[in-house]
Amino acid sequence: MTMLPTDPRLFRLPEGDEARPHLLGSYAPESELYFWPRRQRCPVTRTAVEDVDLTSEGVLYAWTFLHVPRMGKISYGDAGGYGVGQIDLAEGVRIQAPLLGTTDDWQIGSKMGLTTFPVGEDDDGNEMVTFRFEAIS
Amino acid sequence: MPTKLNRDVYVIGVGMHRFNNETLDPGAMADVAGMAALADAGIDFTDVGALYNGYLGGGMANGVRFAKEFGLTGIPVTHVENASATGSCAFGEAVHAVAGGRVESAMALGFDDMNQLGGIGRSRSKGMGAEDVMLPAAFFAMWATRRMHDAGTTMETFAKIAAKNWNHARTNPFAQRRADHEVTPDEILAATMISYPHTSMMACASGGGASAAIVATKEVAERIGGGRPMIRVSASQQRSETYTDGHVFLGAVIGPSQMTRDTAADAYEQAGLGPADVDLVQVHDAFPVEELVYYELLGICGEGEGDGLVADGETTIGGRIPFSTDGGLTARGHPGGPTGLAQIHETTMQLRHEAGDRQVEGAQTGLCHMAGAGSVCVVHILQRN
Repeated sequence: MTMLPTDPRLFRLPEGDEARPHLLGSYAPESELYFWPRRQRCPVTRTAVEDVDLTSEGVLYAWTFLHVPRMGKISYGDAGGYGVGQIDLAEGVRIQAPLLGTTDDWQIGSKMGLTTFPVGEDDDGNEMVTFRFEAIS
Repeated sequence: MPTKLNRDVYVIGVGMHRFNNETLDPGAMADVAGMAALADAGIDFTDVGALYNGYLGGGMANGVRFAKEFGLTGIPVTHVENASATGSCAFGEAVHAVAGGRVESAMALGFDDMNQLGGIGRSRSKGMGAEDVMLPAAFFAMWATRRMHDAGTTMETFAKIAAKNWNHARTNPFAQRRADHEVTPDEILAATMISYPHTSMMACASGGGASAAIVATKEVAERIGGGRPMIRVSASQQRSETYTDGHVFLGAVIGPSQMTRDTAADAYEQAGLGPADVDLVQVHDAFPVEELVYYELLGICGEGEGDGLVADGETTIGGRIPFSTDGGLTARGHPGGPTGLAQIHETTMQLRHEAGDRQVEGAQTGLCHMAGAGSVCVVHILQRN
């Protein structure tokens, strides 16, 4: 079964010996700012940007646990909801994304890593994955 | 730089259909609010020069279709949509149409029923994309957990703000949530947890309703006023976001906090006022953490001092600077299109000193703030002349 990203504009799967997927961002040389998702141009200077892969680890800036049993097509079963966080990457980019784990795993300042999360198969039998952040030691 | 009003604009009429959770016909609710505003102004629809309809849901041409019930007068009718700030933006368009000389009077009409909006909070990616997390409950809960981390804010503070707004709504006949008893912070905390640290009684009431406001030139307002207090729009400002550290592009329900600070600064400059001159405030209190941070972003208190304002009851009616006097989004309700216009309704009634049991004593100046998804911020300042 082939694994595919649900949205190849937002992230790519691990390649070679990489342990984690990468979010696909932009870098603006003039402002020296990074952005995610990719931009047409720097929103500050309106100058050109370059495509970059962002780092896959960061620090938890804020989090919550939504007591909502389903999110789109994804069932959270007995978990009773799901976590959402904002993670600051080393490039200065803040990412809002779902979290893996339980509330005990998340503290503001926790080190977090990007990982994949299966969401089902497409019509051709490919395994579709999206991304989540998880606490790492 | 703040935008300008080239001539004075006055609120001459306001009207509402009560906010509710009964899945009523939006067209019928719009008709009630619009006709109430016309009656309040003491004019006929033939006296209205333009109509701005604010709504999120329903059919593409609902605004024009509903307008036909007021009369086929041939005036320009325009649909305005800016998420939660829709009604505020419709009001702003009406104000600027009069100020700019396009018309002598204009109506802003907001109507909606969130219960009939299928797409709210759902993803176009059918559950497979990151934008699935763009739920207001999650987004503002993260404001709250970060605030708790940075400022030591407690859940009890959030509960006190929510209880205040529930209790403000008890005497508002247009409110969706009208408790039959004094609501306590303990009751708020004991409600179902929806997104830590927010419980269901902290979340805004999402339902249906309609609100309308009519604005006009000074000449028109004086002619039809009949000696009633004149309510002037002394500021009408709207902004979108600018880049800030920690900018979130995907999943941020509204833009960075700086957007509210900047829009308020524009409004104060335009009105020639400062925060100390304001007697009452309406804000986008979809969750209590918002109201708390808006105390500071609107300059009502210093950075990190909002918790003290709550502890001292200063934002309750009878306090130094009452917020969300009609119950706010928390309890008056948040149907979408009409919400910002309900703020104008409440502020106008307060400045006329016609707010009954909710009256803020001696109110002369009121500020209305709304934020909308996709990065919209609107601030209006109304003053009793």
